Amino acid sequence: MLELRGVCAGYGGVEVLHDVSCAFLPGSCWCVLGPNGCGKTTLLRAMAGLIPHRGQVLLEGREIGDMKRRELAGKIAVMSQVNAVYFPYTVYDTVMLGRYQHIRASLFGGPSPEDRAAVERCLAFTGLSDLRRRGLDELSGGQRQRVFLAQALAQDPQTILLDEPTNHLDVKHQVELVDYLRDWCADGRHAVVGVLHDVNLALRLSRNVLFMSQGRIVRSGNFTEIADAPFLHSLYGMDLSGFMRQSLALWKDIP
Amino acid sequence: MRRGLKIAILTAAGIICLLLGMGVGSVSIPVADMAAIVRCRLSGAALPQDIPAITASILWNLRMPRAIMAFLTGAALAAGGAVMQSVLRNPLASGYTLGVSSGASLTAAAAILTGFTLPLLGRYTLALCGFLGGLGTVFLAIALATRFDRNLENTTVILTGMVLSLFVNAILTVLTAFSHEHLQQLVFWQMGSFSGQSWQNCGVLLALLLPCLLVLVRYGREMDLMTFGEEQALSAGVELKRVKLLLIAVSALLTGSAVAFVGVIGFVDLISPHVARRIFGSNHRLLIPMSALFGGTFMVLADLLARTVVSPRELAVGAVTALVGAPFFAYVYFGRRRRERGA
Repeated sequence: MLELRGVCAGYGGVEVLHDVSCAFLPGSCWCVLGPNGCGKTTLLRAMAGLIPHRGQVLLEGREIGDMKRRELAGKIAVMSQVNAVYFPYTVYDTVMLGRYQHIRASLFGGPSPEDRAAVERCLAFTGLSDLRRRGLDELSGGQRQRVFLAQALAQDPQTILLDEPTNHLDVKHQVELVDYLRDWCADGRHAVVGVLHDVNLALRLSRNVLFMSQGRIVRSGNFTEIADAPFLHSLYGMDLSGFMRQSLALWKDIP
Repeated sequence: MRRGLKIAILTAAGIICLLLGMGVGSVSIPVADMAAIVRCRLSGAALPQDIPAITASILWNLRMPRAIMAFLTGAALAAGGAVMQSVLRNPLASGYTLGVSSGASLTAAAAILTGFTLPLLGRYTLALCGFLGGLGTVFLAIALATRFDRNLENTTVILTGMVLSLFVNAILTVLTAFSHEHLQQLVFWQMGSFSGQSWQNCGVLLALLLPCLLVLVRYGREMDLMTFGEEQALSAGVELKRVKLLLIAVSALLTGSAVAFVGVIGFVDLISPHVARRIFGSNHRLLIPMSALFGGTFMVLADLLARTVVSPRELAVGAVTALVGAPFFAYVYFGRRRRERGA
């Protein structure tokens, strides 16, 4: 279980996240919703130990700040939007890098048969087996994002944190990615916490929602139970539910 | 083509270039004679009748240390450059473009001018000065670049490095003007030269190069992860701060100590990793040694050209590498921009 107790975090002395507490159980998917600048990404980065925090971020009761990076990497993986690939690695090598914390650090040591098997599983799960010898620079945006999903899966974590990984993907690939992760979570041992811009896509990932505003969690729980039109209006500064209904009406009109 | 075959071909090319570097010149020495001379020198036996003593002396005292030093320097610079490109995620980074070379040359020049030697280090003093100067400059360049641009955009880093490098070079020029007795040595040094290298220098550089290469191969996977971004590396389990510091230090040690012996030679450290990546892929456990092998080979060839093209006069080897390297730099930079715009 990943638990936050009174967590504050920010950048360069400016606090963005104020006194956030929440918990994520294995087998659950959560999405974090809120307007731009409400601290969604900062929350994720604090949970992954990428930025320093005050308060406690506890993983199975232990503070993540006290854990070695290798140990933490075996429990939490982060998938974000990687925009630039500077050097042409192959698909296989890129996914194998996800096994980093499992491979013993030594001069001549390499991946074990177990590591290879894990990479094969992740390639198969993401449908990349046939592309393994391709360079990342030869792939489409959607394929490349699947490679990074496979890399995160190869870490064999309990929790994957998603930081807007679907930017610049077309609708088909966005939905695919979210569905992969939902399936991965469905075995009851894994958890996903996602920050996704697109509200509909986020709700496809999960009905469990954390609503954030100005660096605090304002409501959390099942979307249909905690959301209502006036709340969403004040959160987003626009009539979100009205907008969604309008769109839906349009879709209903076509054959 | 299989990987083993590629490695074998590159190694063979390296050996052939070394032999050319030792054999070609005002006196040309066939391979068979070279073998005889080396055998006699090592065993202490007398030379065969048909080989003049002067030829043996040219090979053993001048050409061999020179070619070997060129190889080691090229290897050290190339490996150092490959590390910089990975750590900074910047295909344009290298010891030369970041000002490591200039910094190292300034401190090493200062050490030569003042005749300063550290008690216990002796011959390693110059290398140490080069290392400290190089390390100081690269940290300064990164600190300044961070100040201007917190995202550390590629162009900012390179621009800062270039400005710093020009500035440090200017200081060296001023120093040079005040020192008449060392003038010639210092001027030549700003473009690099392998003339007058000794076996001792080869020994010192080799003793530094080998352990550094081993450390770099050991941290190959970390470098692979770092090319995908610092947060990626962190979340995959790399102790980023420690590893990054270590890698930058090793890179500065390689570049700094090479520069301390032979002066500033540009572009080898930029080109070699790119060529090696083309041939062997991006995996740093292979890329580092192969960059070194290519860099060494390239440098021996460049030095061969530098001393034979306008013979009996000699070109600065830095001029030869720049003639090849500057257009290559432009190609990487503009090729990259075109691709980014196309994407």
